[in-house]
Amino acid sequence: MSALRSPTQAMELMAHETRVAYSAVPRELGGIPVEPGFRLFSNGQFLLRCESGYGYHYVPGGGVTIERPASGDPDEETLWLYGSVYSAIACLNGFYPVHASAVAHRGHVIAFTGPSGAGKSTLVAGLGQRGLPMFCDDTLLLDLSDPERIIALPGHKRLKLTEHALELTSAHAEQPVGADTGKSYAAPPAGDVREALPLASLVFLETGSETTWHPITGAERFARLADDHYTQDLYRESRGSGRAEQFALRARLATQVSMARLARPISKAGYVASLDLVEAMLRDGGEESME
Amino acid sequence: MTKVLTKRADRFSETTIDDEVVVMNLDSGDFFSLVDSARAIWELIDGKRDHATIMTILSERFGTPADEIGGEVDRFIAELEAAGLVGRG
Repeated sequence: MSALRSPTQAMELMAHETRVAYSAVPRELGGIPVEPGFRLFSNGQFLLRCESGYGYHYVPGGGVTIERPASGDPDEETLWLYGSVYSAIACLNGFYPVHASAVAHRGHVIAFTGPSGAGKSTLVAGLGQRGLPMFCDDTLLLDLSDPERIIALPGHKRLKLTEHALELTSAHAEQPVGADTGKSYAAPPAGDVREALPLASLVFLETGSETTWHPITGAERFARLADDHYTQDLYRESRGSGRAEQFALRARLATQVSMARLARPISKAGYVASLDLVEAMLRDGGEESME
Repeated sequence: MTKVLTKRADRFSETTIDDEVVVMNLDSGDFFSLVDSARAIWELIDGKRDHATIMTILSERFGTPADEIGGEVDRFIAELEAAGLVGRG
């Protein structure tokens, strides 16, 4: 685990390590060729070569070098940079990425997780309309350097919403995300948060016939943390972590963060009901007792 | 059956969440959730007690004759041994 660092130091570290320069990137790392479509971690460095011709090379302390192809798509460049590259750099610097979108409430973070399409961004957009500022969209970075608490780092400043989500949330589309995602960037209705905050709750989004909230207890907390999102692969690859380390990580999250399941119908009524329910849970229970 | 039962600490990781003990087999990645009697048995396996001693303690703790719980205890211990998490001697 990383040496203890303050939330401010954690944010400064990520800001420093993700600064960008443009140049050619190497074709190999540690003597191992990296062909287009592949990525590699070696000696603390990360090299990603995309099939489109984009290349990303991270060196600790040196930031990210981006190689642009002749006919580069700026949207694709941004997606890779804020997706895999950002997560890879985070992993190499001791952070743990979780596939989640989150809001801030009373100085804590309430995160919503689930597979792609589960409605994470839509829910955060809707909660923004009710006054809860966005904390992150899609990737939540956790700093585990302090054994006493889990600190979350704020993410990028815009939501990525589908056409359906834009319609549902009445959010304003600012520009297409591009790269055939079918999504648009939208500003969070209640703004965003720029400081690192403790993670209080992790809420798993599910589809159900009714809108319900179920606390998650015991071993289910542990089991729920199994995630096949690409960020988990990056974490394992970057750290070469075995099962014992992964177990310890999941055990820590399972014991230090409250968890719940939020089930709701996938409909306009279900969406509104889920917002009502989350709002009520926050109002009645506070951010630290959403179990 | 008189040999002490010993956990093979290099083969698993464990943690307690609420009232459950979660044990992961590091070889297979499978994990067990242990509650009630299973948790009690797991915690009684300490490298000092043999099968009979564990049975006696469980019988007293749960107020059940040893011959009534013996089959269940045997099956669970056999499961732990088969998974490589517990050995004898």
